[in-house]
Amino acid sequence: MSIFDTRPKFAIHVAQTDETFPCAGNESLLAGMVRLGRKGIPVGCVNGGCGVCKVRILEGQIKPLGPISRAHVTLDEEAKGYTLACRVAPQTSVQLEVAGKLEKPFSKGRAGSATVRPSIHQQ
Amino acid sequence: MGVMRIGHASLKVMDMDAAIKHYENVLGLKTTMKDKAGNVYLKCWDEWDKYSLILTPSDQAGLNHVAYKVEKDSDLDDLQKKIEAWGIKTAVLPEGTLPSTGRMLQFHLPSGHEMRLYAMKEYVGTEVGTTNPDPWPDGLKGSGVHWLDHLLLMCEMNPEAGINTVADNTRFMTEALNFFLTEQVVVGPGGTIQAATWMARTTTPHDIAFVGGAKSGLHHIAFFLDSWNDVLKSADVMAKNKTKIDVAPTRHGITRGETIYFFDPSGNRNETFAGLGYLAQRDRPVTTWTEDQLWNGIFYHTGEAVPSFTDVYT
Repeated sequence: MSIFDTRPKFAIHVAQTDETFPCAGNESLLAGMVRLGRKGIPVGCVNGGCGVCKVRILEGQIKPLGPISRAHVTLDEEAKGYTLACRVAPQTSVQLEVAGKLEKPFSKGRAGSATVRPSIHQQ
Repeated sequence: MGVMRIGHASLKVMDMDAAIKHYENVLGLKTTMKDKAGNVYLKCWDEWDKYSLILTPSDQAGLNHVAYKVEKDSDLDDLQKKIEAWGIKTAVLPEGTLPSTGRMLQFHLPSGHEMRLYAMKEYVGTEVGTTNPDPWPDGLKGSGVHWLDHLLLMCEMNPEAGINTVADNTRFMTEALNFFLTEQVVVGPGGTIQAATWMARTTTPHDIAFVGGAKSGLHHIAFFLDSWNDVLKSADVMAKNKTKIDVAPTRHGITRGETIYFFDPSGNRNETFAGLGYLAQRDRPVTTWTEDQLWNGIFYHTGEAVPSFTDVYT
């Protein structure tokens, strides 16, 4: 945790890789996710238009930060928990699945910087 | 004469108030008109026709259509014949389909993008007028952009499936609309695949550009600034307004433009740029960028790949 960022954080858990990253209640899930240091996390328009940061919220409360493009998240998908990580902020700890173009950067094991005990990776 | 220049772009936005604030306060356009459907029309201070940007309320981002202005009304009839002969269907939209705008010739590029041509749009004049004008008007907001200059369309490309709508569009624009090629990117074995092109009707390096992608969409719309210092100031304006900058001030090898890329509040990419590069002419030899030097062409100083720049668009 940086001394330059003292905001209280919620724990955000990524189902596919069992990684956890901290995210403040006034920043987007994408902004927190970038701190994983995982190569290739696509930070696109960060305004809900381009659709590269699609996730599915499995558990936890989120707050919308603005509209999301229906070209990338349909109403039906939204009802199933899908949204864009750049447009939601956590209000509790959150369990999520990465989806769409976010799946690829999460397909290669755990990110080094987010791994507290690398040995866990072996289990 | 046929096509003169880009006339306007119509963009989908998801939050109209935020969009107007962005295009007025960050770019410096002014709203000139609103219609009953909730569409908003804006222009830059150095433009003389009523609008160059239409914002339409939507549940997604992206381009509705791009329009180019032709010199004479009869050009629309001539070009309709050429476009149909090339194998693309057209429709004539009557005067008044868009407010303050004459009849429009509507068709779709091979890449699927909607393009319109028109000869008449209401003249309102630049903000400095035509008699003993000052070089710039007082009261400019934000970046104070001069004009909508060009746009870049992402065009579906899948060489394995034999799909290359960059090459198709380039051929169409050359053969039917009499644009000329200024620069191109070639990739693949022997550089046989035309993966990106820049084309002109004016004397600037591009009035339109096409780049290959997984699916067709809008990469960016670009607005002209005078100088490198204006580009720096434009970046300052973005920082003040918390605008998401995609690419901080740098130079392109391609077109030599000095540039910033950023996103509007719906995620549509914008560019403010300076430097008209060189005098584009029909007999000027075409500049070619090869696959191994592509990123120097895109970001001349670093030459480093920025995948989000080519993968992210609306």
